[in-house]
Amino acid sequence: MTRATDALWAGESTWFCCGPSWGPCGSAGGGACGDCRADGNHAAWPHLSESCWELTRPDLCGEHDLPRRGCGSVLTVSHQCTAAAVTVTISDCGPRTHEFCGEGVCCDGVCLTNRVLDLTPAAFAAIGSLDSGVLPVVITE
Amino acid sequence: MSWIEPVAALCPPLVAAALAATGAAKLFAGRRLPARAAGTALPRLVGGPRRAAGVLRATGAAELALACWLLAGPGRAAAGVATALLGVGFLGYLTVARVAAPGSSCGCAANDRAPISWRAFVRAGAVTLAGAGAALATTPWWTAVAHHRVAAGAALALGVAPLCRRPAGRALGRLRGRLFGSPPAAPARAGGPVPFAASVELLERSRAWETAAPLIRSGLLDHWEEDGWRILHYAGARPDPDRGGERPVSVVFALDATADLDRPLGQAIRIGVVDRETDRVLTGELLTGEPPDG
Amino acid sequence: MVSPTSRPDTAPPRRLGRRGFLGSAALGGATIVGASSLGALDADAAFAARGPALDPAVTGVFVAGRIGAVRGTLLYVAGGSGATHHVRLTNATSVWKARPTTADAVEVGDGLYARGVPMPDGSVAADAVWVNIVNLRTEIRGLRRSRIHLVHHHRELVGHTGPETAARYAGGALTPDLGRLRIGQRAQVLGAWRPGDGSVDVIRVTVGH
Repeated sequence: MTRATDALWAGESTWFCCGPSWGPCGSAGGGACGDCRADGNHAAWPHLSESCWELTRPDLCGEHDLPRRGCGSVLTVSHQCTAAAVTVTISDCGPRTHEFCGEGVCCDGVCLTNRVLDLTPAAFAAIGSLDSGVLPVVITE
Repeated sequence: MSWIEPVAALCPPLVAAALAATGAAKLFAGRRLPARAAGTALPRLVGGPRRAAGVLRATGAAELALACWLLAGPGRAAAGVATALLGVGFLGYLTVARVAAPGSSCGCAANDRAPISWRAFVRAGAVTLAGAGAALATTPWWTAVAHHRVAAGAALALGVAPLCRRPAGRALGRLRGRLFGSPPAAPARAGGPVPFAASVELLERSRAWETAAPLIRSGLLDHWEEDGWRILHYAGARPDPDRGGERPVSVVFALDATADLDRPLGQAIRIGVVDRETDRVLTGELLTGEPPDG
Repeated sequence: MVSPTSRPDTAPPRRLGRRGFLGSAALGGATIVGASSLGALDADAAFAARGPALDPAVTGVFVAGRIGAVRGTLLYVAGGSGATHHVRLTNATSVWKARPTTADAVEVGDGLYARGVPMPDGSVAADAVWVNIVNLRTEIRGLRRSRIHLVHHHRELVGHTGPETAARYAGGALTPDLGRLRIGQRAQVLGAWRPGDGSVDVIRVTVGH
């Protein structure tokens, strides 16, 4: 769901594992761009490419105009509730927005809906707590 | 048969009361509406959460308008037909929603997160039948009420009681919090106590968290329960104007142990800030800008 | 609305334990009205009462890797690139390992994420560490009384459920009710990996419609 006019987009963000890691994350690999690392400030974007869009399908949740951003694009991600911010580089395709259509996170009376960003553990932990699992975020360029 | 006409004649006020209650719940849900709409199948069916909230709001307006029409008198038969059609529409929506989004909530009263159940179908069916009854009635409802006061009162109470149960419970909870300051040791709700993670989630979406976030450095250090409160302890830091740099503080929150995002109860969260080295309580100084006493 | 309800620098009663003292500090502190997804009741007042501006809460460095050794409060962490990081735990470090816990729960072989600040000696003083935490996109393949059988990245994964397992359905609040999970559903599973057998303790399972 878009929010402010100066924001690229706004919605929910979760976190995911990528790069060399442990446990079930050990098979994650470097993501669609090949350079994703858990300890780097990276992100997965649902419109990385047309083939990525077919996997994530944000349009099924009403997110029709999510702009396309390729590998290496830089975004600033701010926590909607606390304004804590982190700068990330897009390194992968995701999340699968359509699997959690309509899910919302609210604070300050504003609800941000739909999963539109996945952050690496490093980026997510910079603006929130990993055990929270999901955050409301505002994305700018 | 002799009982059909009085029953049909009593249908308009009965279904009008029910429609007015659910319509008002949707139309006047305010900021809650987008969150509630997101839990229904509507975002998937109409192409997005904004449209879903709009559809819920429009439905609420239609329900209220129908309620007024049913009670107003002129064109009662047409109002009954419209109500029956609305009930059929509800049944169709519920069927499609169950197929398209099996875990979604009904959105019927705009305050229910539970998945669509047989109760929702029964309610929609009742609206259809009551609408048909209203269409077939030949006696004005006020005449029927005057002749069958006890039956009318009982029918109205039966129809509206389920809609009032949850709002009344929430209002009582809020009143309780304001009068007594601390939450009572409420019995565990159906399905078990509020998970600890749900309390953390409620805190992290709260204005209390927004206010204290600049102080907090750690994740959750410790948590425990005390007199119906759930206490959450974080480590943080505050600027030290005397020595420069920062000084360590503890940030402690107290929440109603029975509240979660769906049932925030009194919506009050208490917060304390303590210097970790001196145990001096700094809440007023850091959060309200007031200078410390002494 | 922020309203102080007690004198701000009351001396702590020594007889109370640490929890008792901190609990009384919270209950006797400020009440902030207006919380939750339902929107703030007194938003303007609360913002007006915000405290002095501080640096952003989270700064510093992030460490990811597996714990090779534990020496007192110092963790030796083997990073993915082969480097070894020294992560120091303090009494202000939060430790998560399936639940908020203490440094005693950290073991050699555990996976670790740590957020902290760099120290002059090259170590990282941790603000928060998460041990074995995973957040996986899965599909539910089977449901048992105390287990959920999952598939993640085409591999089978056993998820153990317990009293602390919570579920979220279609964006609702977390609930202990797992009865609405269905086989075939896509589920986001936040949990703690067990290095011994590769299974996961499920802390939170989130499903959509």
